[in-house]
Amino acid sequence: MQAWVDPDKCQGHTLCAMRAPAIFELSDIDGHATALAGDLPASEHDAVREAAGSCPEQAITLS
Amino acid sequence: MTDMTDDIRKQKRFQFTRHSPTFRLEFESTAAEMQSRCPVAWSDTYGGHWVAASHEAIFDIARESEVLSNDHDVTNTKKGYHGISIPPAQSQYRGGFLEMDPPEQREYRQTLNTYLSPAAVNRWKPFVEALTRSCLDEVIESGRLDFVDDLANIVPAVLTLAMLGLPLKDWDIYCEPAHASVYTPPESPDFPRVMQGAMLMNQRLGEAVVEIREKPRPGMINALVNAEIVGATPPDHELIGVLTLLIGGGFDTTTALTAHSLEWLSEHPAERARLSAERDTLLDGATEEFLRFYTPAQGDGRTFSADCELAGTQFKEGERLWLSWAMANRDPSVFPNPNEIDFDRHNNRHTSFGLGIHRCIGSNMARMAFKTMLTQVLDRMPDFVTDPTGAAHYETVGVINGMQHLPATFTPGPRLGASFAETLELLQRACDEQRLAEPVTVRTASAKIG
Ligand code: SF4
Repeated sequence: MQAWVDPDKCQGHTLCAMRAPAIFELSDIDGHATALAGDLPASEHDAVREAAGSCPEQAITLS
Repeated sequence: MTDMTDDIRKQKRFQFTRHSPTFRLEFESTAAEMQSRCPVAWSDTYGGHWVAASHEAIFDIARESEVLSNDHDVTNTKKGYHGISIPPAQSQYRGGFLEMDPPEQREYRQTLNTYLSPAAVNRWKPFVEALTRSCLDEVIESGRLDFVDDLANIVPAVLTLAMLGLPLKDWDIYCEPAHASVYTPPESPDFPRVMQGAMLMNQRLGEAVVEIREKPRPGMINALVNAEIVGATPPDHELIGVLTLLIGGGFDTTTALTAHSLEWLSEHPAERARLSAERDTLLDGATEEFLRFYTPAQGDGRTFSADCELAGTQFKEGERLWLSWAMANRDPSVFPNPNEIDFDRHNNRHTSFGLGIHRCIGSNMARMAFKTMLTQVLDRMPDFVTDPTGAAHYETVGVINGMQHLPATFTPGPRLGASFAETLELLQRACDEQRLAEPVTVRTASAKIG
């Protein structure tokens, strides 16, 4: 599983980092998120799905 | 899009009266009815406007900033739009960047982001912990308090002033007007007095702007007076609007969330005990759920800046729209059992901080202040019981779903530290000596208190 945050959609709600702190990093400047690049560890998949489902802007794409 | 007559465009109608006391009482059935029957409807009320009620419609419309305007044209020199209030608010000030469009709006936010990002807000945690501790110390030996007057009004107010760079001891000058101007309707006999208080507050803010320009001290006001917005230094009256927005947003909403959540926890002692015991895993989810359920800022107005078709409805330039965050948050197609509070709720993509480019800039601060107040109450007065006869909800929730009073009793306990007055002085010293209100780009270290 891979995750991608669309920077044009993300508004910095921070729900993703609340749900999967190991995967989503928030900018110190404006709180907008970036996802860890590459394949995500299986142990994080549930949390990442929850993060994507909790994003108010639906800015996170999973593949 | 083929042009329709107004009768056809506005075929779905709903008499939407969110400023009436009955709206609050019938909110759940109104939301359900509008969602199943509309979910976008024309209402003749408040000068005529559209209402979006379903999560899907609100999600689809709110992010279309190309065709939506937040502008409040107070000088009537542009298109005459009325900002976010429906009906229009009589004001000489724009409501800060919430009543602006990009690029102006974006540049104001960029000026303030480094004060309000998660990293910036985290640095204030020890400050808020000490402040909350002192508020509870004032009442802990007595076994009774008013959660609004003695806690939830004070903490967000003092924190907001600290971040702005204003003297902490002035918190009560701003506190009453900031809340009362929200819950006092224009027809109330108290309205003139409240407006006077609000004018005094604006005057104070104007003086602070002049003072900080001459004698800089860290904080958001300093950032604003030095900002260049679309190539120019913003005039003072514009900055007063921005400060009023930050105070309005910082004060009343967090108070509303805290009071409602505590009232619910008092009525659900088993859930309260579970939240307290399992806070490591439940606190985040519970906070988001309280945000969803109570939606402190109930909605926002917009004006269409172009003809467009969205959510199956044709809108015309100049028409107004109410985005009901509160109703979106109770949409059963996104939130199963929407009228129940469930700490374990999944995929809670609530809209309580808005959607799109105007997302509440203070959301991180609100969450931090709320969680600090809540956990300290759970620790120090775990058996609190709120008094339903003394609990005062805002009679109308047209703007904020707030509470004016929430008295409670609990088993008394010991004080843990200095009084509120002494703590306020200690915190002021910390602000001055450690320059706590610098942006996170200048100061990364957390506050050190005591
Ligand atoms: S939850 Fe969504 S909008 Fe918020 S920071 Fe994460 S990706 Fe961005």
